[in-house]
Amino acid sequence: MTDHSEILMNRTTLAKPLGGRLSRLASGHVIAPPLVFAVMLGAVWLLNPNYLSPFGISIVAATAAPILLLALGQATVLNVGSIDLSNAATSLLGTILLAMILPGYGFWGILAILALVTVIGAIVAYAQVPSFALTLGTLGVLQTAALVTSDSQTIYLGANRELVSTLYTTNVGFVPLSFWLAVAVALVFWAALQFTRAGQSMTAMGKNETAAILSGVPVRGLRIAAFAVSGFLGGVAGLAILAQAGSASASGIGSALLLPGIAAALVGGASISGGQTNPLNVIFGALTVAFVPMAIQALGVGAQSQSLVYGLFIILVVALTTTRSRGIVIK
Amino acid sequence: MSSFARHRIPDGSAQSARLVPPERWRAALRHAPLGMILSIVVLAVVFTWANPRFGSVENLQNLLYQVAVPLIVVVGTTMVIQMGSIDLSVQGVMGASGMAWILMSPNSRLAVDFGPWAWVAALALGLGLGLLAGIVHARLKVPSFVVTLGTWYIGLGIGVLLYGNGMLPSLTSETLARWPTRLTLGVPNAFWLAAAALGLGLLVMNYTRLGRGILAIGNNETIAGAMGLPVASIKIMAFAVAGLLSALAGILATMQLGSGSPDIGSGQLFTVIPAAVIAGTALSGGEGGVVRSALGVFLLILLNNGLVLAGVDPDFQSGIFGAILVVAIIAVSWPLRGRLKVAK
Repeated sequence: MTDHSEILMNRTTLAKPLGGRLSRLASGHVIAPPLVFAVMLGAVWLLNPNYLSPFGISIVAATAAPILLLALGQATVLNVGSIDLSNAATSLLGTILLAMILPGYGFWGILAILALVTVIGAIVAYAQVPSFALTLGTLGVLQTAALVTSDSQTIYLGANRELVSTLYTTNVGFVPLSFWLAVAVALVFWAALQFTRAGQSMTAMGKNETAAILSGVPVRGLRIAAFAVSGFLGGVAGLAILAQAGSASASGIGSALLLPGIAAALVGGASISGGQTNPLNVIFGALTVAFVPMAIQALGVGAQSQSLVYGLFIILVVALTTTRSRGIVIK
Repeated sequence: MSSFARHRIPDGSAQSARLVPPERWRAALRHAPLGMILSIVVLAVVFTWANPRFGSVENLQNLLYQVAVPLIVVVGTTMVIQMGSIDLSVQGVMGASGMAWILMSPNSRLAVDFGPWAWVAALALGLGLGLLAGIVHARLKVPSFVVTLGTWYIGLGIGVLLYGNGMLPSLTSETLARWPTRLTLGVPNAFWLAAAALGLGLLVMNYTRLGRGILAIGNNETIAGAMGLPVASIKIMAFAVAGLLSALAGILATMQLGSGSPDIGSGQLFTVIPAAVIAGTALSGGEGGVVRSALGVFLLILLNNGLVLAGVDPDFQSGIFGAILVVAIIAVSWPLRGRLKVAK
């Protein structure tokens, strides 16, 4: 019931006077992600402005691009109240498949990955199993699939290399194309959530699934769609990784992106219990996560404390931004 | 509320009708994880048939040795999952405590030996990380998934900082390095330690206010709170116990390896959560138990050991665990499907 009124509220927000919109914006989870990033940027600028050179910016953006794509996928799934632990493994397998079949069939590789993850989503929706356990299982399967398809070797890009590497080598305003691509995806995702029936239904489903079912929201189809989006963006992230690295392996850049992807979505204000996602803030979440290692160096703390700072950061940001109004039970 | 009736509160109040022994045994048998035991037996028979070495005494001892570390971890993980929360931090806590322990025990990097104080410090570190997670989760109302993701990184960070840039710290005391493998009554000491942790977990879950409170929260947190249970303190205690057990597992794993590494817990999360889930501990809380989860760990380790002996590449381990997890959870939840059921 509240979900309906919230949906209606979302729709009517656009017509509201500026004052009402500003007061909505002021709530913590909306304003915090850009603020956190700005504070970190400011601190680094004060202490060591050299890190904000065009070169530094381009490195942060290139690192942030695959994280952002994975985080956007994760945010889609989180928004419907599920979680996808296998999306980084999907992107890893995608990278390997892309590198192997790029001379000729690169596009079909992405489509094959898309089909695969749609199946995973369908299992979650139809077998009604908890996504955490299921995607933990598919994570293992996909990791092994990556090892087997690559034969545990590193695959270097040969022919048609420039098809992919342009994403990394072309800069627009110091920032590689892959990052702009991810930002474009975020914009499209934001518009889809705000203005389409499917987007609004997904948010309703995340807020209260039982209410959504009773209101006739096609919950199964939407959950499948959310997982398909996550997998598809995993594949696109694979493209960005391949563009940057020029090679693919089961233990390459993509293998450790699961937690940064989740962290970026959470720091970007997505709620782990569903029903709350702002793709535009996820951009800042990904930038923050990509910027932390550099900020630590700039502050002169030493690279070894990176994980420690990461951990404190996630807890701090989520503790500051999480909404506690909806229901009293937090799991 | 049939599930509530099962969770008797052991303070002898009027509601907790004591069952007479035969009734009790029959009730216990009805809830026994016969499917799990059967799967373990079938697997053991198949593997022995595939490679007779599987059933040898040496291999069985080896199996008990391998099962020890995940067994200790799974006791804590199960307690947290039964409460309806999740603990992702095990690998980080293991790394931090393992490093703390080895740097305070006789090692090749520092000429120190704090003896039992090394244990105390390492366990206290794990307890502290668990308390941190519990307090942030229960008092600041941050979802446990996020908090323990954070303490995973924090633990890993502490491990990396302790590791530093120096040389690999390896254990120089022969007595300590040999202790896990040495046999007592034909069973490796490592397994005795795990069995003690399991026994303790069983006692806590069945006969203490903490254990019964954990189950009550897992069944329905709102009702548990309304009945006057101290929900926040129970949650904090559960995470603290889980941290303590992860620390113990970190020490044992370090001893088994003979040298310290922040990554000592690598892969444990991927063993213990599938083990708990396969054994019937629902991630929504209130179901399952430590003994079931322990059987789940046995099943997975047995499977891994048997497949290696049968000549399957160890690289396939995560794929096989994953496939089993997928099949098992679908099979378990298939009959429970319904139009209005919400599965997240």
